[in-house]
Amino acid sequence: MVKFNRDSVVAIILLLLCGVLFYSSFDIRQPDYGVLMPSTWPRIIIAVLALLSSIYLIQSLRARPSEKIDDDLNICVDSFSITENKPGIMGFFDYWRNPIICFSMFFLFLITLPVFGMLIGGLIFVFTLMSLLGGWKPRKLMTHAAISILTVGAMWSLFTFVLGVMLPVGIIFNPFAL
Amino acid sequence: MIIENVISAFEVVFSIQTLALMTIGVTGGLIAGAIPGFTIAMAIVLTLPFTFSMPPEQGLATMVSVLVGGLSGGLMAGILTGIPGTPSSVATTFDGFPLARSGQPGLALGIGVWSSFFGGIFSAICLVTLAPQLALIGLEFHPRDYFMLVIFALTITASLAGKKLVKGLIAGAVGLLVRTVGEDDAAGMARFDFGSEFLLSGFDFIAVLIGLFAFSQLLSDVRDPDVAKQSLAERGTIDAKIEHLRALKEIGKRWPLVIRSATIGVFTGILPGAGGSVANILAYDQAKKASKEPEKFGTGTPEGIIAPESSNNAVEGGALITLMALGIPGDVTAAVMLGALLMHDVVPSPSFIGDNPVLAYSIFIAFFIATFMMVGLQSIILRVFVLVTKIRMYMLAAVILGFCSIGVFSLNNGEFDLWTLVWFGVLGFLMRHFGFPLAPMILGVVLGDIAELNLARALAISTEISPFFTRPWSLFFLIVAVFSALFPLFQEHRGKFKWTLFFLPFACFTVSVPLYLMGGVARPVIAVIVLGFGAYTLWKRWKSGWKLTAYQELGTS
Repeated sequence: MVKFNRDSVVAIILLLLCGVLFYSSFDIRQPDYGVLMPSTWPRIIIAVLALLSSIYLIQSLRARPSEKIDDDLNICVDSFSITENKPGIMGFFDYWRNPIICFSMFFLFLITLPVFGMLIGGLIFVFTLMSLLGGWKPRKLMTHAAISILTVGAMWSLFTFVLGVMLPVGIIFNPFAL
Repeated sequence: MIIENVISAFEVVFSIQTLALMTIGVTGGLIAGAIPGFTIAMAIVLTLPFTFSMPPEQGLATMVSVLVGGLSGGLMAGILTGIPGTPSSVATTFDGFPLARSGQPGLALGIGVWSSFFGGIFSAICLVTLAPQLALIGLEFHPRDYFMLVIFALTITASLAGKKLVKGLIAGAVGLLVRTVGEDDAAGMARFDFGSEFLLSGFDFIAVLIGLFAFSQLLSDVRDPDVAKQSLAERGTIDAKIEHLRALKEIGKRWPLVIRSATIGVFTGILPGAGGSVANILAYDQAKKASKEPEKFGTGTPEGIIAPESSNNAVEGGALITLMALGIPGDVTAAVMLGALLMHDVVPSPSFIGDNPVLAYSIFIAFFIATFMMVGLQSIILRVFVLVTKIRMYMLAAVILGFCSIGVFSLNNGEFDLWTLVWFGVLGFLMRHFGFPLAPMILGVVLGDIAELNLARALAISTEISPFFTRPWSLFFLIVAVFSALFPLFQEHRGKFKWTLFFLPFACFTVSVPLYLMGGVARPVIAVIVLGFGAYTLWKRWKSGWKLTAYQELGTS
């Protein structure tokens, strides 16, 4: 029986992506001039990518069970379960806790950027991320607050006053929004 | 004319503002290189937004100084803590750390610093002398040849992934595909925009680079909660004073080793995709093989520090040679430098040095000056390094992520670039996790437009496909691309299967054909030499009865 592993899943996702992009390449308008049509080069790449993904899929299906183990992380990949720590979904979140926190915080920072602006938003983002990753002890909080103010403040000042970049002000500190 | 341009370049580089920026650049590079997990590529990528508002000469000089500083910064962490600051200084720890632990950290650091200096100066000389010569060859290139050169660059970068060749090639293809999103340059038609006005403008490739490299690296660095809370100071002793005179005496006794290792570095840099991480191991291995006392390697011998440090600093000179002469980046850091040039509307090509002489000479001069600055600043940075090692990785990650957001926003003053940063950060993180190398994707993103442009130009001249396989330079790049793609298979099977005995001779025979077709005097002579070497290798193997041990006898393993 053919057993899918993590590489097989990635290969199938890549093949699906190729399919979607190839289909979407028919939406590219063709001008009446030029020899190389705007859709030709992307289609060449998609064809190559599809071929490589097929080879990758075949390789992953033919791989011996021992090769299905990720040496770097010692994770059993066949069932997508983490055997290093706790099993199941909780183990997954436990293992990937910090990257998920970083990604989620950055996502929140971007969503709230029009409201808080770069300075306040940046300060909140750096301070909260540091505290989530490093801990909430009062002494640590003081250090995190000091580092956030110094670094984000310095960087914001440098870009605003020295390099002349108009960073987002946000609604809270925007005098025209009041 | 040349003298006028050199004088103009000197005026730019020796202005107080540029020198101050270069000092900051070298200092920043040294600190960044000293922090494990903070790669040189990441430091260069993060410098890009600052250089946006500078004139190209000043911006590139700053980036070159970050590069030179970063290459040398890795040795501090490697020697004093046993943890290499960058992948380029992995081999330095093999002997640097034991020498430091034996009570001579000052000598170990001194040897590292001065070996880096001599390696850097050697490669700077190579850069100044070889780049214009290579550019002259590059002027012979037809758009077809250029297209095949890009394909070769992508293939060889992917082949460095070894057994993961298919993943490397997939990464390269994805990089090329990312670059096709948005309006195409030739006809202005929308591609893969899915009705979004943001996608119509395409991904800003600087945001893509920062996402793929910096963002994904930071996510990886803080993955382990315990490691994220650790500081470097907990891992080793860091109290030392550099012993310059003793170090210079030790290096003086071994100058052929410096030259050999630096040469390895320059040639590794010229090869697309192979950077300092390959060169330092290669030079260390060669130094050990050539040494009269190989058993001393790993115990704290000066040769074990001289070889990797002089080679890794020489790499960038080599990488810049191909970048400035052909417009093809030698490694990821050179790819970011190419990005910086494109940001300033300067397109590197064989005519780059001729078209932008002041900029080209500014890069040459900045490379020299930064190397001198590096030696002077190492002693001061050593004290800063003590402070840096007290910083926890999670703090650094949070601050750098905050900085990334400000820097990326400043590229186009738009929030879309920030979304590009985060999505490509996650993509880079997943690629690292699933074992896909990032270097081919970076090269794909950077070279995508160049490949398409040259393909369009080639087809505009003639719609025939056959010249891609019959023009000498195109054929040459195609052959080396095929053999570089097959190289991981050869490496895996050599000594096990008989076909591997024919790999090298066959490669020599096929490469000699386009070399001979190029005409002139020198190239047919080289073709005959390559052909002769292939025939000699084949004859030796026939004499030994086609034994699979032939690799050890020929020293080709």
